[in-house]
Amino acid sequence: MKKILMKAMMTSISEVMETMFYLPVEFGPESEFCQCGMDDKNILACRLTFTGDTSGHLILAVPRNLISEMAENFMGEPREYLTEEHLSGTLTEMLNMVCGNTLSKADSKAPFELGIPEAIKESEIAKNDIFTIVETTESKMAIALKID
Amino acid sequence: MSYSILIVDDSLPMRSVIKRTLKAAGYGKAEVLEAANGQEALDLMKNAWIDIILTDYNMPVMNGLAFIKAIKKDEVAKDIPVVIISTEGHESKIKEFMDCGAAGFITKPFTPEAIRDLIVNILGDTDYEEDLDESDDDFDF
Repeated sequence: MKKILMKAMMTSISEVMETMFYLPVEFGPESEFCQCGMDDKNILACRLTFTGDTSGHLILAVPRNLISEMAENFMGEPREYLTEEHLSGTLTEMLNMVCGNTLSKADSKAPFELGIPEAIKESEIAKNDIFTIVETTESKMAIALKID
Repeated sequence: MSYSILIVDDSLPMRSVIKRTLKAAGYGKAEVLEAANGQEALDLMKNAWIDIILTDYNMPVMNGLAFIKAIKKDEVAKDIPVVIISTEGHESKIKEFMDCGAAGFITKPFTPEAIRDLIVNILGDTDYEEDLDESDDDFDF
């Protein structure tokens, strides 16, 4: 099941990033969070749980400069007008769209429920959690899928 | 005539995106009202005329499904068309939305065309054409 979900997640990330944030992406290798080259950056992170035939959660970690670019593209507002609420809202909405889209793609007939996305601190991310690197033209983010 | 459109979503950025999309879709003259969840929307509706509601499903306090059920029990509000905009696009959930009386469903991520086409289909396109002539061209369809 994890392979199906991972494939659906990568398709969903591409669709969400291109449709809503106007940023094409490529996928890098999987690695532990501490080796993603992101844990020393100024990142914003959030977690979203899902329940259903398959239950688990997704964690998304995005450097502040990239989430600013995404929020700017998403809302059509210049960066100087964006507040912390805009940035955290963009991050949680991104994860919400990716998670819902992933589960729908993996099995369109299987019902599921999403939780409410919650902001987490970088210190709450286990350094040995396995993340997939998502590269944009000038930056990168990391996403982890964990099944219970 | 301009419409009164209520956007219900707990995400401030998503409400902004939908507002911007409505403007680009020709509803620049519409009065756009916002609420962060179903309960806040019900409170707002006590004192406002609404032509159409665009609501998220997954929200704290009162989700989109409970919100639709509450509207359908209200003699004054029950005929207001409600469109669900949600990430949760699996078949059983969409059926549940429609069975509860939703007028339409849009999956996130969405294109501006998807929102425009559905609203035009529900409200009719006479006022859409009128508004479109005077709207800002923020982005092309």
